[in-house]
Amino acid sequence: IGLPTNSAQECQNLEVERQRRLERIKQKQSQLQELILQQIAFKNLVQRNRQTEQQANRSPPPNSIIHLPFIIVNTSKKTVIDCSISNDKFEYLFNFDSMFEIHDDIEVLKRMGMACGLEVGKCSPEDLKVARSLVPKALEPYVIEMAKGPISNVYITGSSSANG
Amino acid sequence: RVDAALVSRHKELQREVCDLTEAEEQLDELISKCNLQLRLLTEEPHNKKLGYVRCQDLKKSFDSPDQLVMVIRAPPETQMQVSEPSKGYQVSLKSTRGPIDVFLCPEDSSGVC
Repeated sequence: IGLPTNSAQECQNLEVERQRRLERIKQKQSQLQELILQQIAFKNLVQRNRQTEQQANRSPPPNSIIHLPFIIVNTSKKTVIDCSISNDKFEYLFNFDSMFEIHDDIEVLKRMGMACGLEVGKCSPEDLKVARSLVPKALEPYVIEMAKGPISNVYITGSSSANG
Repeated sequence: RVDAALVSRHKELQREVCDLTEAEEQLDELISKCNLQLRLLTEEPHNKKLGYVRCQDLKKSFDSPDQLVMVIRAPPETQMQVSEPSKGYQVSLKSTRGPIDVFLCPEDSSGVC
């Protein structure tokens, strides 16, 4: 270690580096959380549909279901929608005269409760049990953390804490 | 004259950055594993067949009686463009790999889309 002035400069550099990494980790954690949610929601959906089909002893009529992936656009019934479509149906143009919302299918699955309430950190012990059973062991610490509530701080799962 | 406090601060920061590097690498690995798992999961033929929502699920999810729910099913890589709200409410869809399906969630209770 060199002169104090150099050390001071180095400390500052390290401080910046540390902050940068913390930010990136935070962002990657939420990315991972979203992937975990998607995995849980999709597995739950498939399980539910399989059970329903087994109980009914048949598949639902094709025109009563919508396969993933899809996107939802919702708006007030009062909204006037002007729609132009190309002949081959490759291009669409919608004009709304009022506000609308766009949601992806995962959002729908979340609203259906398929993510076990993990998306808002509201998870009953029963929900948590289900959620944990739907992910590989390595992801369980994250699921447990998500069940406690929305995560605001960076947390690091050490190797010692992953003993579930 | 070496500032002992500064030296120990320097050491501490070095260790922290090192720990964070390791944590980030661990995260990267988990993310790529998760991505792969999700892809395999959703592409598995049985799951693909069972990966659907019912019309009544959609209705329940947007359960305001005042809402119109439009479903868009588009091939991968379809581009969606939304205009700036100040320039009106416009959505355009452009597919290169096949036709796009758009339909409304039914009003009645027939459960048929």
